[in-house]
Amino acid sequence: MRGTWPKPIYNPRIPLMPALRSRLLRTAPALLCTFLFLSTMQAQKWSGAQTQLAARIVALTGPGTMSLELVNKCSLSRSEADEIRRGILTELAAAGAQFVNAERAAATLKIYLSEDLTNYLWIAEVRQGAGEPAIAMVSLPRPDAPIAEHETLVTTIHKGLLWSQDTRILDVAVIDGNPSNMLVLDESNVGVYRLQGVRWQQEQRLPIAHSRPWPRDLRGRLQLRKDHLFDAYLPGVYCKSTMAGSLTMSCFDSDDPWPVGTDQAVLSAFFAPARNFFTGVVAPPLGAQNTVPAFYSAAFVPREKYTLWLFAAVDGHVHFADGMRDQVAAKLAWGSDLATVHSNCGSGWQVLASTSNASNDTVEAFEFPDREAIAASQPADFNGTITALWAETSGASAIAIAHNSETGKYDAYRLTFDCGR
Amino acid sequence: MTRTALLSIVAASLLAGTAFGAARPRYGGTLRLTTSAAPASVDPASSTLGTLTIANIYRLLFDTLVVLDARGKPQPALATAWQAEPGEQRWHFQLRPGLTFQDGTAITADAIAASLRAANANWKVFPTANGIDIECQPAEPTLPSQLALPAYGIAKRTAGKLSASGAFAISRWDPGKKLTLTAREDYWRGRTFVDSIEIDMAKSFRDQIIALDLNQADVVEIPAEQARHATAEGRHVGNSGVDLLALVFTRDSRSPDESKLRDALAMGIDRAAINNGLLQGQGEPAGTLLPNWMTGYAFLFPAELNLGSARRMRAETLAVSSWSLGYDAADPLSRIIAERIVLNARDAGLTLQLSSATPDLRLQRIPLQSLEPRFVLTMLAAKAGMPVPKFADDSSASLYAAEAALLQSRRIIPLLHVRNSLGLGANVKNWTVDRDGTWHPEDVWLGGEKP
Repeated sequence: MRGTWPKPIYNPRIPLMPALRSRLLRTAPALLCTFLFLSTMQAQKWSGAQTQLAARIVALTGPGTMSLELVNKCSLSRSEADEIRRGILTELAAAGAQFVNAERAAATLKIYLSEDLTNYLWIAEVRQGAGEPAIAMVSLPRPDAPIAEHETLVTTIHKGLLWSQDTRILDVAVIDGNPSNMLVLDESNVGVYRLQGVRWQQEQRLPIAHSRPWPRDLRGRLQLRKDHLFDAYLPGVYCKSTMAGSLTMSCFDSDDPWPVGTDQAVLSAFFAPARNFFTGVVAPPLGAQNTVPAFYSAAFVPREKYTLWLFAAVDGHVHFADGMRDQVAAKLAWGSDLATVHSNCGSGWQVLASTSNASNDTVEAFEFPDREAIAASQPADFNGTITALWAETSGASAIAIAHNSETGKYDAYRLTFDCGR
Repeated sequence: MTRTALLSIVAASLLAGTAFGAARPRYGGTLRLTTSAAPASVDPASSTLGTLTIANIYRLLFDTLVVLDARGKPQPALATAWQAEPGEQRWHFQLRPGLTFQDGTAITADAIAASLRAANANWKVFPTANGIDIECQPAEPTLPSQLALPAYGIAKRTAGKLSASGAFAISRWDPGKKLTLTAREDYWRGRTFVDSIEIDMAKSFRDQIIALDLNQADVVEIPAEQARHATAEGRHVGNSGVDLLALVFTRDSRSPDESKLRDALAMGIDRAAINNGLLQGQGEPAGTLLPNWMTGYAFLFPAELNLGSARRMRAETLAVSSWSLGYDAADPLSRIIAERIVLNARDAGLTLQLSSATPDLRLQRIPLQSLEPRFVLTMLAAKAGMPVPKFADDSSASLYAAEAALLQSRRIIPLLHVRNSLGLGANVKNWTVDRDGTWHPEDVWLGGEKP
């Protein structure tokens, strides 16, 4: 039985509609251009394979009637699959194919979009009559997943993606200026980059010489200097930049202590050259304390008459050192990476700590009115594990390196605070 | 396989084990492994690399010239670069300088050449100024992938004593019982996080599970059919590579009628029931030798039960089918699966009897020990006694044609791709396994240990 459709009722005009419409009219050409550009790029991406597959199909069937079904069995999105389908249809039609229902078709065509470990694989299963189907296939390289940009919108920790690369990044230092420059430390080089427009362009690579094998979970730190451009610290190795006409770098086997503080609180600590932690010997001594427990990272909170240091120790606990005694912060379930940032928010001093949720690592800010940590920000999520977290030399921001679990790349972020959000 | 299932398997194999989250890896401690295998030797050239566990133990000791990355592409290891001459019969490998064996002697081109000659007598291996040349007959287009196998680990053999080239040195070896390894401080890729590894051998699966539960072992083998149960009981279970379970005939089909009977058998086996019932869902029904994630085309080959077609095909021939089916008598699961196949064959009108002596076909479980599909196909063909597959080039279409030809010979009937499993202790961090079953214990660290 057919029912009666209710009479359609239209919504009243929304007061903001004219404004929206005029805004839309202003932005529409730009949006349309962007859409068309992206569509064209996308279409070009597949065109070679579409042409190849169509040619192989027509070589099996000849021109004539055919039906086509496309099955997506791979990681391509539905819109990409639709795009590919349209392209193949166009190519087949250009080669003389006419598309009809399966019952009327001389050939029924089933196209699978599949993939193996390295490639996309497009397979056409062609049936003509009652015999075994014929197979045609083309493959095209499957790119790594694109790097996702993680711009936070509603959080007090602002993550700005600085750089991303396949090899492990140990630290990054940004030399703000016009133009800005950036140093990227990895296991082989210090890369020197210059900001041109919105892109970092590589200017130079300064190789790191070392005589001993690097330890696993390799760590390293860059420090900007006033009398020369920078120092780089790696396990058992110290590198110093020199500027004699052009920028160069000299590296030496060295067990000199690494700086673990910032310009506001200077402290150096000896790094175990074949391990991934600091031995606990610090210089200058913290009041009466010459040593602290072996630790992975340090942060500080300035007090009126002393500096409270926090160490993410190798024993899995955070230790407080106030110059008199070592105290375990048993309640803190933080990760191994800490850094202090001096900001305009809250008390002005926040300790950033790596933490983790069920799936990914996060960085969260804390303040210490006393010895109890008070959360000072929403956790900033990272798409993977944090492999380094260092305060920048100025102390106003921090660098976090994350190993992106989707792309496999190492992403370097600059962490700053947005107090107003 | 659905996309979601595929992704979950990828995630499981990449993160099989507890990721270390925001905590940095810790140095120190002893990783305790148990295995049912009991090899009499740890020499990679003279041992049979029967199980994935044993293959992985050799990887700890003996570095190879090349390693495969997660996509199966050869990457530098002891060799820094390589190149084939036209025809791919002669290959040049450039060696990484400054490396040593565990006894402190240099890993030279001569030492590598001697090690590879011991591993494969058919190759001619010559030291050169900065590396080695390998001459193969016939051509070996996948030689770099082949050299990534643990059988080609580089060892120094002096007066019956082995010296390791890998991340660990042998500190104690009680053949077939216990192997103790110590981390090498001077290892070129960086000293491992754990100080040592102890491997207890010849342990039954039951004893291994008990050892895990009593915290006497950190990594144990779990039979596929018990993996789900182990997970349900709260144990942490990770993947450890894939085996092909297949029926392999001892000879080629001699007539079109016999081929039809073999086709009827292939169509009459209820792979899904074997997987769901006997293997507790730890496998994937297979119509091909190589899994779909490796080739992208396996779904084109049916793996579903088709009893109607099997009976029809059986009825089309008057030939008598009376085959004997062999299986691994030491593996109780193998017998149960063989019994189920006998019943399936009977439903299709075929006669199959279990036999341990000179069977007509055998139920075989073959590890897929590489991620390079052409090489894996060649290895499977060799294990099944089939001719070496021919590849026109390195395209997917060529791989498809080569595998289709092997299946068309009806010498082998693929049944299932079975996932191997490991039980992991709660203190084992960052345990990762490649899809071909390669472990990475060099990246493992132990929670709760102090350096």
